[in-house]
Amino acid sequence: MTERENTAADGPDQEDEEVRRGQEERLRKVWAAPKGWRYWSAVNNTEVGIWYTAAAFGFMLFAGVLALTMRVQLAVPENDFLTATFYNQVYTLHGTVMMFLFAVPIFEAVAIILLPEMLGARDLPFPRLSAFGFWCFMIGGVFVAGSIFFDAAPNAGWFMYPPLTTDERYTPGYGPDIWLLGLSFIEIASLAAAVELIVGTLKCRPPGMRLNLMPLYAWYVLVVAGMILFAFPPLIAGDILFELERMFDWPFFDPSRGGDPVLWQHLFWIFGHPEVYIVFLPAIALVAMIVPTFAQRPILGYSWIVLAAVGTGFISFGLWVHHMYTTGLPAISLGFFSAASEAVAIPTGVQIFVFLATLLTGRVIFSVPMLFVAGALATFVIGGLTGVMVALAPFDWQAHDTYFVVAHLHYVLIGGMLFPLMAGVYYYWPIIGARKLSDRLGRIAFWLMFVGFNVAFLPMHWAGLMGMPRRVWTYPEALGVGISNLVSSVGAFVFASGVLVIVWDVIRPRSREPYAKRNPWTAGTLEWLARMPSESWGVRSVPIISSRYPLWEQPNFVDDVDKGRFYLPDAEEMKRETLVTTVLDGKPLHCLRVPGPSFMPMIAAIMTGAVFIFATFHWWTLTITAMVLSIASIIIWLWRGTAQIPEKAEKDVGLGLKLPLYKSGPDSIGWWAMFITMTGDATAFVGLIFGYFYFFTIHADFPPPTAVGPGVFWPSIALLLFASAWTAALFARILNRAGRVGPARGLMAAGSVASLAASATLLWGPFTNGLDPSAHVYPATVWVLAIWTAVHGGVGGLMLGYCLARSYADRMTPEYDIDISNVALYWHFAGGTALVTVATLAYFPMLM
Amino acid sequence: MKKFRTSRTFPAIFALSACEGPQSAFDAAGAEAARVLTLFWVMLIGAVAIWAVVVAIGYYATKTRPGQHSEKAGLRLIIWGGCVFPTVVLAMLLFWGLRMMPDLRPPGDGPTIAVSGERFWWRVAYGVEGEPGVVRNLPIGGVPSANEIWIPLGKRTEILLGSPDVIHSFWVPPLAGKMDAIPGRVNRLILEPTEVGVFNGACAEFCGTAHAQMGFRVVVVPETEFTEYVRAQAQPAAVPESEGLDLFIRNGCAACHAIRGTPPDGVVGPDLTHLASRRTIGAGIVPTTVENIADFVASPDHFKPGIEMPAFGMLPKDEIAQIAAWLGSLE
Amino acid sequence: MQIFGRTKDNLWTLIAAPVIWGIHFLFSYFLAAFRCAPNADIFESIGSTRVAIGFVTLVSLCLIALVIRRAWHEWLTGGGGFRNDQDTPEGRESFLEFSTLLLAGLSFAAVVFETMPILVIGDCR
Repeated sequence: MTERENTAADGPDQEDEEVRRGQEERLRKVWAAPKGWRYWSAVNNTEVGIWYTAAAFGFMLFAGVLALTMRVQLAVPENDFLTATFYNQVYTLHGTVMMFLFAVPIFEAVAIILLPEMLGARDLPFPRLSAFGFWCFMIGGVFVAGSIFFDAAPNAGWFMYPPLTTDERYTPGYGPDIWLLGLSFIEIASLAAAVELIVGTLKCRPPGMRLNLMPLYAWYVLVVAGMILFAFPPLIAGDILFELERMFDWPFFDPSRGGDPVLWQHLFWIFGHPEVYIVFLPAIALVAMIVPTFAQRPILGYSWIVLAAVGTGFISFGLWVHHMYTTGLPAISLGFFSAASEAVAIPTGVQIFVFLATLLTGRVIFSVPMLFVAGALATFVIGGLTGVMVALAPFDWQAHDTYFVVAHLHYVLIGGMLFPLMAGVYYYWPIIGARKLSDRLGRIAFWLMFVGFNVAFLPMHWAGLMGMPRRVWTYPEALGVGISNLVSSVGAFVFASGVLVIVWDVIRPRSREPYAKRNPWTAGTLEWLARMPSESWGVRSVPIISSRYPLWEQPNFVDDVDKGRFYLPDAEEMKRETLVTTVLDGKPLHCLRVPGPSFMPMIAAIMTGAVFIFATFHWWTLTITAMVLSIASIIIWLWRGTAQIPEKAEKDVGLGLKLPLYKSGPDSIGWWAMFITMTGDATAFVGLIFGYFYFFTIHADFPPPTAVGPGVFWPSIALLLFASAWTAALFARILNRAGRVGPARGLMAAGSVASLAASATLLWGPFTNGLDPSAHVYPATVWVLAIWTAVHGGVGGLMLGYCLARSYADRMTPEYDIDISNVALYWHFAGGTALVTVATLAYFPMLM
Repeated sequence: MKKFRTSRTFPAIFALSACEGPQSAFDAAGAEAARVLTLFWVMLIGAVAIWAVVVAIGYYATKTRPGQHSEKAGLRLIIWGGCVFPTVVLAMLLFWGLRMMPDLRPPGDGPTIAVSGERFWWRVAYGVEGEPGVVRNLPIGGVPSANEIWIPLGKRTEILLGSPDVIHSFWVPPLAGKMDAIPGRVNRLILEPTEVGVFNGACAEFCGTAHAQMGFRVVVVPETEFTEYVRAQAQPAAVPESEGLDLFIRNGCAACHAIRGTPPDGVVGPDLTHLASRRTIGAGIVPTTVENIADFVASPDHFKPGIEMPAFGMLPKDEIAQIAAWLGSLE
Repeated sequence: MQIFGRTKDNLWTLIAAPVIWGIHFLFSYFLAAFRCAPNADIFESIGSTRVAIGFVTLVSLCLIALVIRRAWHEWLTGGGGFRNDQDTPEGRESFLEFSTLLLAGLSFAAVVFETMPILVIGDCR
């Protein structure tokens, strides 16, 4: 720390206790969560993360109760505990809640708590976005889960295959709409979390934390957030088609009008299979943090874990058709997916062997977290091996849609996700609760869960091959699976009792117990800097990292951090601050002011939720009102809370380092967020384009020879207008930066008008040609692409108008130009979308 | 909660249901099922062995002293155990699985039977002029039947699968794997039975409330018997005039059901021309007896919650009995 | 910026090989799906499609081999360490090269897996 000594003269004297106490008081005040009812305006990662985690666990318990009622119903053949219609709601909601309201959100929730701690950051870069995501999740989750109390729950399985779900004749009522709109809303929350976590991992690492020194958890988070970015948007595209069919009878999945129900299966599983890994990898990430601690050595094979995480992330996108082996696709198509499904087992195996090798070369301490890790490996390997079996199409033709698959997926999810998560709960509880959970209760819980789980699910493999299909509300005695189902039901209750023990261990009052000592497991990674009980500021000072396990390997590290000898030991200006660094080597770039408590994210989430909920019940006036309010609330949020011009250009962050307080372009996190969001947006658009070319492939003539399209003239005009708006946005940014504010404002105004005109023109084509979207899938596809692009034009126009207003309000200047810089980036994507849309709709048919 | 059933009559009736034949993939009686069963046993043995070794390594790893194994040894474990071994084993397994696929979908050399999955029963037509591959809709014509499919022993029967409503999946575990019946598509499945017998089938893709009770039977017989059976099924109804028939027509049953050789020609529900020749009624739910037919007509949703057929319990008991008696005579 | 060897690795070079796998995978699947979509005669041989996929496979394997060669060479030049946990740009570089090498190896195996269907399945059945 020679650097520090050199500069100690002009900075505060960190060795002076008085100085430190003053700093700590300021930090505590700045980072404190609001009190009273304003508590719910908190946005800090610890508060939001804990709400998020608690809510996700709550949903898990709810879905667990649903599972138990199913096991009661199936305990004996020909049972009448539940009716068929109610059972169908129960199993649908069980799957939906477990997947969408527990498995995926819990990853986001845990990462929101842990990631900043592991990266020595004070908070994630967009705390209000996290809060917005949480409130979206909460509203959508309660809406979906609550439907069962009104006998209105979705009842056709968590993958909602049309035409069963799109046709009012087969599924009257609101069930599928609730599923769809509730879930779309939650997908928004996931995408928000993905943006947050990618930027957090890449740009908010502590100084010196190079890529090769990143905690493995961060690697997994990066991979998984990237996967969310490419996996969820196709489902959003599918949701749009689905809901348009259900609400307005646009026949995307209706074969009598040119649609195809299999298209939904493609779009769903392009999301659905990566989702399994989105669920599995973060849990394995916890194992990758726990194993080194209890083997008392660094992980052996760091690069191998990175290989496994990244490799799985990629290959998991080549597996989706293995859920569709029985849809009659050609064998050669199935073959490619079969091959990828086998290949993905390789990186998965590598991870397991990395853990084994680390344990082999270390000194293993057997604690409760390790017990869960061991149980997880033993269980997950079984799920992986049955996965290798069902990856072969011929075997899957037997096993598909039977209890064999039910058993397989529970082995994968409970072994690969729930057990590691429970290990994580026991391991990380001191950071949240400042005390360890009970060792004794933990062991009891583990053995109940482990034994109960295997008793419940192992027999299901056999039941499936005995001929028991999944999703049956009852089965005849003569099928011969009565005993096996009874055993499964008993096991399920044993398993549930284990979960209850953990719940009790977490909620039981323990204020009389002493706090755990700091770093209670003697771990080596940054999150264990946390004091017991922890402080809301996260780290006392943002450390310089030179090792993968700084607490083990960097001498005097904890003391240096605590005494504020690193960066940002103070909050002189009473602002929440953290550091932004470079991607490769973690060199400090600028000091980021992160926003504090606000009700705006909650209000924006409520308004957005209202849009989805009102739309579910077809209350259109209310829907449109809510839409306007939600846009207004988001604009207010952005206007007041983002791209704030700092009171000075740069500040001393400690150790003599002066960093700018404002950056735009690729150095700013806002630019990255826009880039990442728009990548997801572009993926959804590709999903819609895939739909168009899918119909082109399966139909001998698409567009149908008799059909009128949008024509060539109007789309071409629209493209010209889009191109002008795009150019205007680009030059507005350049001119503004060059100090020519007047012309820049002119371009913003012109671009705004041009983009609105472009949207109108693009819609005018199909409208003036009288394309009826409910007549055939071709006009429906044209309309959906045109509307998608027009909406992007509208949003782009709004954004340029926003920049214009910011410029007039002096909130955007040539020097401080984040707004126009991000909007110009938006326009690259919007312009590309317009180009592809017009090329597909207007020019492609001319080639045919 | 009103959801919990209070009716006690239902299970009593339901208990009558009989699984005549096996429905287990372990009782392979068809070419595909037999090959897949072999594949399964091999994979199972391999999986158990791999699992045991992994768990043993894990156990050993927690017991061994540090320093006993160098990092080099650990890396060797990762390379050989985590990379090389899985890659080689998976490649071999994949090759075996892929080789099997075209063999399991050969050209047929027996009859072509169209099977349409409908909520919640199976429409069957023998001797359709089908063509392989994805055509838009099932070929029409052929000798109609329902819920019971006869196929000749030792021949590769081609089943063409479609659906007019939602997605179903056709599965006879002892004979072959499943294949979906998808609206707007026609899928083909080859059944090549190696044993004579009656086998149970089920719908494997969730299709609505009565999905769990959408069964059927596959009856494997020698080829001559098969030909004889189809010829018999092509005949008009055995009892073309009776009081039961009149009641059948008067009460509107003809709107949905056809009985060839008599006026009823509905196409919505199963063809009942030779109902009594089938082993079960209600899509594999209960054995075909006059009493069951009567009970079924009176309250089909007690047998099969969610069934699309309306209940006729409001009819006088003797009228139902007469209809049932007549239907029960249609061999 | 050159630190040593010839190229500076980053997250994009890390995922080059799996991206090649992805393109190969999608090409194979879409081409076969397009070829088989009409289904006029599902037992008709689709030799030309298989040859086309085989050709793209060879190109993909060569590209991945180039990635492997580059990563391997630079990794060895930099000392060829497995741990790569040094707090230096060289340590980070070496880590990225070694990880690239591993990912390229996995991608190579995955592409080889993807060619098996075209070896054993010759029509659209």
